[in-house]
Amino acid sequence: MTAFSRLRNYGVLALMACLLLTGCKPKDNAASGTTHATSADGGPPKVAIIISTLNNPWFVVLANTARDRAKELGYDATVFDSQNDPAKESANFDNALASGYKAILLNPTDAKGSVANVRRAKATGVPVFCIDREIDAIDAATSQILSDSYSGCVVLGQYFVKQVGEQGSYVELLGLVGDNNTWNRSKGFHSVVDRYPGLKMVAQQSADFDRAKALEVLEPILQAHPDINAVFCGNDAMAMGAYQALLAAGKADTVKVFGFDGADDVVKLIAEGKIAATGMQFPKLMARTAAEDADKYIKGERNFPQKNPVGVELVTTDNVSKFGDYGRKADTQ
Amino acid sequence: MNDSRWKFWLPRAGCLLGVIVVFWWAPPFHIVDLKGAQQAQPAFDAVAFVDNFWSEQLGKSLDRATDAVVLIKAIHADSRAAREKYGRSAGLGSDYYFFMSGEGRVVSVGAHEIAISLEPDGSSTDVILETGNIFGNAVRDGTGLLNVSDFADSQDFNAVSAEINRRIEEQVLPNLRPKAVVGAIVHFAGCAEIADEGTDLHPLLVVPVSATVR
Repeated sequence: MTAFSRLRNYGVLALMACLLLTGCKPKDNAASGTTHATSADGGPPKVAIIISTLNNPWFVVLANTARDRAKELGYDATVFDSQNDPAKESANFDNALASGYKAILLNPTDAKGSVANVRRAKATGVPVFCIDREIDAIDAATSQILSDSYSGCVVLGQYFVKQVGEQGSYVELLGLVGDNNTWNRSKGFHSVVDRYPGLKMVAQQSADFDRAKALEVLEPILQAHPDINAVFCGNDAMAMGAYQALLAAGKADTVKVFGFDGADDVVKLIAEGKIAATGMQFPKLMARTAAEDADKYIKGERNFPQKNPVGVELVTTDNVSKFGDYGRKADTQ
Repeated sequence: MNDSRWKFWLPRAGCLLGVIVVFWWAPPFHIVDLKGAQQAQPAFDAVAFVDNFWSEQLGKSLDRATDAVVLIKAIHADSRAAREKYGRSAGLGSDYYFFMSGEGRVVSVGAHEIAISLEPDGSSTDVILETGNIFGNAVRDGTGLLNVSDFADSQDFNAVSAEINRRIEEQVLPNLRPKAVVGAIVHFAGCAEIADEGTDLHPLLVVPVSATVR
C-alpha cells in the first residue's frame, strides 16, 4: 500500500468516525449538577445575551439591562445581535457554545425556529433563559420570562373601544409573523374589538416590528383608506412609524395610534396627547430576572417555572405620569 | 480475479457494508414530508380542552372557592394580608385574582352588570357580577387550576381563556340575567381580577362561572 493510499484510507476512517459521532449526545453538565465558578481561561464566567434585533431601542434596553445585571453579578457578559435572522441566531449559538459561555439569555427570532438552538445548548449543558418572546417548547429552555401580551392587548382593546367608539374603521400593523407575541397581541386585541361589529378593520399588514417598514406600509393604506379612525400597532416602533406616516399625511390629529411596548419615545408622545395608548411591558424587569435566574442556575438552583409571565400595564394620557424609563417610575420596573 | 484485486476490493466492500449497517441501525437524520409533519401535530382544540376543564376541573372545585363574606371582611381588615392569604397571581405581574363563592341579594341591575349585597338588609354593594361581554383571563388565571407552563404555545393558553369566556356568556349568563331582579337572592361562584387596588377591591368585580337565582 502506498503512503498516499494509506493516507486516503485513514481519511475515510476519520470521516466515518465523524459521521458516527454526529448523533452522539455530549455529557449533560446540567444533569450532572456541575457548577462553573470561572471560565476556562480563569476569568469571570461568561454569559451570552442573544437578542433578536438591536435595530429597535426597546430591544437595546432589554439587551443592555441583561448585560449590566449579569456584570453586576460578576459575569463577563456579551451581547449578540441576531438581526431578526434565524440563521444569524444559529451562528450566535455556535459561537457561544464553542466559546465556553455558561448561560444564554435569549430573545428568540422565531418561536418554532429557535427551538433547535435552545435544544443544542441544553444538550451541551448550557442553560437558556428566554426573555420577552417564547419558544414553542416546554422542555428545552430552563425558563421563559415572557410578557403577557395577550392580556395586555385585551386591556388595550377595551381602551381602544372607549376611545374610538363602537363605530369606525381602523388598520392593524402586525409584527413578525413567526413570533408568537405578534399573534398573542393581535388575538388579545381582536378578542375585544371584534365583539363590536361597527368597528371595521380595513387593512391588516405586517411591518415586522420595524419603524421604517411601518411608515412604508401605512402610506399606501392611507391613500386607499383616507377616512380611518385609528391604527393599532403590535409594537411601539411601528406606532412611531405609523405616527410619522399620519403626520406626513396631515392626519395625526384625527387618527388615533395605539402601540405596545412602553418605549420611551411613545410614552413621551402619549404625555403630549399625540399617541393614544401603549402597553408597558417592563423590559428591564424581564432582563434583570433572566440574568438573576442564570446566576442562580450557575450557582446550583434548578427549580424554575418553565414560563414566568410578566404583566403588561396600560399607559394612557390619564396615568402616563406614573411611567417612564421603560417601567413604572415608583418601583423602577 | 487475482489476489491483488481481492486485496483491493474486499476491505473496501467490508467498509461500505459496515457503513450501510451502521446507518441502517442508527440513521443520522430522517427525511419527513413537511405536510405530513404538520398533519402529525394536530391543532390545539380549545373547545375540547375547555369541555374537559369545565366538567372535570372547574365544576368539581367550586367548593374550594373562598367564602365571599370571609374574603370581603379580610379585604376590609387588611387588603395586603387578604391578597397573600386568598389571592393568586401568575408570574411577575402586579395583577392578582380571587376565586370566591357566596350568596347575596340583588340591589341593582345594569345593562352589563348585577350589583349584589352580601348584607342581609342589602345595605351595601359588595360584589358586582359581570353580565355583558366577558373579556380577559379572570377565570383562566383566577381559579389556580391552569398553568401557562403546561402549554408549549401560549396562543393555545390564550385560546382557552377566550373559550372559557364564550362558555360563560353562553351557559352562565342567560340563566342569570332574566331572573336577577332587584331583591332576588343569587348564589354565585366566580373570579375577580384586581388590577388597581384603588378601584377593584370595593366592590369586587366578579366574572361568574356559576349562578343560581331564587
